[in-house]
Amino acid sequence: MEYEVKLKKVGRKKTLRQRIKENKSWQNLSTFIWPLVFGLIMIGLWQKEVLHSWFHTDTFTLPLLNKIGGIMGDIHEKLLENTISTVQVAFWGLLIGSLLGYLIAVFVAIFPKVGKGGLSVIGAFASVPVVAMAPVFNNWTKDVSTDAGFRSMVSKIIVVTLICAADMGLNAYRGLTEIKPYSEDLMAIYAAPKRVTLWKLRLPNSVPYVFTALKVSVPASIMTAIVSEYFAEYITGVGRQIRENIVLAQYSTAWAYIATACLIGVVAYIILMVLQSICLKRYH
Amino acid sequence: MKRKIKRIVEKPWFSSIIWILILIALWEVGAVVVSNTKRVPENILPHLHQILGAALSGKTVTADMTATQAVLSSAGLTLFRALLGFFLGAVIGFLFALLMKLSGVIEKMLFPYLMLIQLIPVLGLAPIVLAITGDINVSRVVIASILSFYPVATNTLAGFKSVEKEKYDLMFIYAAKPYYIYTKVLIPAALPYFFTGLKIAAPMAVTASILVDTLQGDGGLGCLLSQSLKHAMSIYVFWLIVFFSAFVGIIISKIIGWIEYGVSPWKRRA
Repeated sequence: MEYEVKLKKVGRKKTLRQRIKENKSWQNLSTFIWPLVFGLIMIGLWQKEVLHSWFHTDTFTLPLLNKIGGIMGDIHEKLLENTISTVQVAFWGLLIGSLLGYLIAVFVAIFPKVGKGGLSVIGAFASVPVVAMAPVFNNWTKDVSTDAGFRSMVSKIIVVTLICAADMGLNAYRGLTEIKPYSEDLMAIYAAPKRVTLWKLRLPNSVPYVFTALKVSVPASIMTAIVSEYFAEYITGVGRQIRENIVLAQYSTAWAYIATACLIGVVAYIILMVLQSICLKRYH
Repeated sequence: MKRKIKRIVEKPWFSSIIWILILIALWEVGAVVVSNTKRVPENILPHLHQILGAALSGKTVTADMTATQAVLSSAGLTLFRALLGFFLGAVIGFLFALLMKLSGVIEKMLFPYLMLIQLIPVLGLAPIVLAITGDINVSRVVIASILSFYPVATNTLAGFKSVEKEKYDLMFIYAAKPYYIYTKVLIPAALPYFFTGLKIAAPMAVTASILVDTLQGDGGLGCLLSQSLKHAMSIYVFWLIVFFSAFVGIIISKIIGWIEYGVSPWKRRA
């Protein structure tokens, strides 16, 4: 014999809307669906030239998406060449700058009395506009090499380095010093020398902070590379091509380079996220 | 006497001053080296007193202005637009964060794109914005506001989300209306985050405004900068602009710090 168990619900019956809202799989799905809806609406508005009438512009300055895509396909060799140039600048600047910033942070953490003021001076560097720095380093690197392409690359890398070093220095210092009080006491109880405390406690503690810094400085390094290309001696890089093509009134080509710049940013961020999930595995 | 010196040495600003002095010393050493080896040392690294002299001298660099006057008058033009764009961006960013807090659907819809904007090199868009708006002044304001918009929006939203559940529960017990929850709990909690966003945004707005200047010869710091670099006027104007924009970048984040201090009384108590 089978018994049907009937549970009587207490209280008001939930509306359909509420039930949908509390459904777990709908919640997961909606994080994808809503952005997709928004994106599709924007693409539709762009393709149907509604955006153009809002901004009082025409398809010449704001070309349709399929045209931009077509041009990207047509000039993909030149796109690749300029992308490599920009990415090289951003990458080396990011690498050298982050290492430098981290070393400075370690130095300040070891000698806090001398270093703290230095850190605030470095922080000031972060608020110096890129446009003020780029031409200075252009002039400084005139003797580095007889090859204009190489020396303007060096000057661009220096600018990116400074921006990234400031960011990394400030964040890594927080990571090296903002430690749980008990763990510092524990090291003292163990009578651990400063060197060991640094190696076993401070450095591991700073890893998440390093990624906080990178989340800011990866997009910043690409942006800085693009802006310093504007002032560089040698005409290369995605940013410079945007400008050169605008001057020639070839807006569709310029848009192709803008799309490339966005792609570089997105890909770099995805790489960073993957790296972060690998490195921070044991923190979760 | 010894104790007095020791007390000064232990002041927090002391090591900053030492570092600034070290930087100045390095600069001067570099300048001496450069002036002995280069044909036109003032292009690469002039002595600091030469720059100061150029700032104070009464000699005219343009038709009727001395170097300092020229820099300050175009700085007024550039900085005014940068500030206008900055305020616009900050207000829109704050409203956006509020809207996203009010409605979950809007947050889900827009947040991924907010992250995306951060990855797009907006300064690369400067020439195209100029082409679309057609007016250099409008595009200055637009670029500066786009750049200040996203740090403010993301940081403020993080601030809204940082409110603990206990506070909501307390407000629920008080039977507080949503208006009061926002004005008494959420907005004050988000304020420090909002100011962090502003501090990130301010130097970017200045950079953007100067950069847009260089695109078209219509006055402003960037325009003056490229003229001076091409030796259309004294090269010292260039050095003055470098120092001036660095100074502006630093002082603006200081000013925002002071405003934050002024509007958040709980900070003063600590």
